[in-house]
Amino acid sequence: MTATQTRPEAAPMTTGRTINLIQAVTEAIAEEMERDQRVVLFGEDVGARGGVFMATAGLQERFGKHRVFDTPLSEASIVGAAVGMAVRGLRPIAEIQFADYMGPGFDQIISQAAKIRYRSAGQFTAPMVIRTPSGGGVKGGHHHSQSPESYYTHTPGLKVVMPSTPYDAKGLLKAALRGEDPVIYFEPKRLYRAAKGEVPDHDYVVKLGEAAVRREGSDLSLIGYGGVMPDLEKAADALAAEGVSVEVIDLRSLVPWDRDRVLTSVQKTGRAVLVSEAPRISNFMGEVAYVIQEQAFDYLTAPVGQVAGFDTPYPYVQDKVYLPGANRIVAACVQALNY
Amino acid sequence: MIQPFTPEPIRFVAEDGTPVQPLPERYTPEVLRDLHRLMLQAREFDRKLITLLRQGRTTFYAQSSGMEATQVGLARSIRVGHDWVWPYYRDHTLGLAMGVPMAELISQCLGTNSDSCRGRQMPHHFAAQRQNFVSISSSIASQVPPAAGNAMAQKYLGVDEITVCTFGDGATSEGDWHAGMNMAGAAQAPALFVCENNQWAISTSIREQTASETIHIKAKAYGMPGYYVDGNDIIAVMEVCSFAAEQVRSGQGPALVECLTYRVGSHSNADADAEKHYRTREEVDAWLARDPITRLENLLAHLGHPVTAEERAALIAQTHREVDEQVLAAEATGQPDWRIMFEDVYADLPDHLRQQEAFLRAEQTGGRA
Ligand SMILES: Cc1ncc(C[n+]2csc(CCOP(=O)(O)OP(=O)(O)O)c2C)c(N)n1
Repeated sequence: MTATQTRPEAAPMTTGRTINLIQAVTEAIAEEMERDQRVVLFGEDVGARGGVFMATAGLQERFGKHRVFDTPLSEASIVGAAVGMAVRGLRPIAEIQFADYMGPGFDQIISQAAKIRYRSAGQFTAPMVIRTPSGGGVKGGHHHSQSPESYYTHTPGLKVVMPSTPYDAKGLLKAALRGEDPVIYFEPKRLYRAAKGEVPDHDYVVKLGEAAVRREGSDLSLIGYGGVMPDLEKAADALAAEGVSVEVIDLRSLVPWDRDRVLTSVQKTGRAVLVSEAPRISNFMGEVAYVIQEQAFDYLTAPVGQVAGFDTPYPYVQDKVYLPGANRIVAACVQALNY
Repeated sequence: MIQPFTPEPIRFVAEDGTPVQPLPERYTPEVLRDLHRLMLQAREFDRKLITLLRQGRTTFYAQSSGMEATQVGLARSIRVGHDWVWPYYRDHTLGLAMGVPMAELISQCLGTNSDSCRGRQMPHHFAAQRQNFVSISSSIASQVPPAAGNAMAQKYLGVDEITVCTFGDGATSEGDWHAGMNMAGAAQAPALFVCENNQWAISTSIREQTASETIHIKAKAYGMPGYYVDGNDIIAVMEVCSFAAEQVRSGQGPALVECLTYRVGSHSNADADAEKHYRTREEVDAWLARDPITRLENLLAHLGHPVTAEERAALIAQTHREVDEQVLAAEATGQPDWRIMFEDVYADLPDHLRQQEAFLRAEQTGGRA
């Protein structure tokens, strides 16, 4: 078995610049604000402070206080106001300071943003983007480390996205802003500065709902999204050194998600290991596993493996133990390979 | 009798230490010195913890420097260990003044084995059962509805306890804040709500936070008295909070106290450059001139019982020594291991967690189960 190292979509042919993920977010917002007067940005501390992670640094200066502004400390107000603005014709980007703090805005997300198109039969819609840093690995304890994406993937009417590269971060955010639906856009905060990569100089979008094959392989499909992706790559490297050819897939979008890409891959490799850092029960990857067994059962040579967070609140001290690192991923792959 | 809804914050002592109204008898020089000791200790605790942060021995710290009179004054206005407190994350000075041992606070900030919360929460989020100091949630204002419920239980049980609930000015924008205030008002529950209005919610000023002139007037909407107090005047804080607490205790229903104060430091270590981004040096300097510790020292001097430079230095040195000792003692207990993850998720360990624990045990011990 030979490990193929081609990366068809990992680094699209660009002659652009190398930036990090948070810069990609900032650029996407700035370019869309430039392009479309309807785009406005608001949230807690996004203005003069530039956001607690500096994702919006400089934007208020550039676009003025009427388009980039701080709000009162109320996620219900932030999300709810975004819905109202979207209904009235703006393209709001609402920043929630941490995904852990979407709680107070939850009702606005699931009762208003997600449902207004359906319940009004399309007479009213709420195209908007809720951006929020999520995930662990920053010693933040449970209030600054959670991965709540499954609450949102479980809600019809919402699109849910989580990039892991600067290229995707920029392209997905632009696509989200040009779309007609409310999008929850999770930013894996531990990759903000760690993930670096090229982005083209020209305008581009990454369509929601398309996975990226980070490397092709023939023995096993390793599937993840967001903050765990560098660990998937490390695991694939480690397995390649042992002669195992792993196909690494980054889902990028959870709703909608790329069933075709995943199924094609699993039909080729016969094995799948799914990785996410969210707690395991009702984890979105449970849905992916279900579809694989439903649609590709005959191709499977091993049960679908899953590496997830533990079903405990995210701990502070044991931050690193909680997260599924490369070793845990390799162990799950070995189990599938030896089945 | 202290009046609610005063247009100006109630104060007893001017910046230069001159009383602006007669001081109640209970403020003997000994009492004032005790308050001074507590405030200075809290200030130095802040300073030391910032050093620990710089040394990488802890990962987060939210100072309360500048807010000592509010927190110490509140602690001295309630029955510690009898009343219940639903605090917010900036309340370590309140905890210290309520007698939560420094060792406990430090252990929690370091997440060591001696941490009574077992390294589960990020630094600065402690809980202290003996003081009825209920666990801190990072989620802003999420403590307010439970505080209302705590007070409703006290009413139901017919005890003479009250519930104290603290929060910053930013918290008053959250829906939870309004829900909790309304609930407590409707139930006429014995809850004392205390806003530590330090005028900034990270980079958002109180003026951007609300179009309401003050926070305390919002009490009107919930059918309770709202008191406005100079939060840097410890005597004013104690007089108003004690009065409000006893009103609440006597069955008059809940009350809101707004303590007007200022956080002179940054919001937290994540925001070390406040002056660069969102507020002016002049504003900070103006508030430094209203420092609560200096004000109490000025009063003591005015009363003929000055705190000498030597006394001050000795107190500071003693606090530094104590913090250093407690840090070493805490660190010596080591860090909780992976097992703590599975405990206290539920009262008993369900099967799926038992399996995950066994998985992790095998992983952590290299396959030896
Ligand atoms: C629900 C929620 N949203 C956002 C945050 C992030 N955050 C932490 S502290 C803070 C400002 C709080 O300001 P305030 O209530 O005035 O208290 P202060 O820190 O000024 O004492 C914010 C926005 C949070 N902890 N919880």
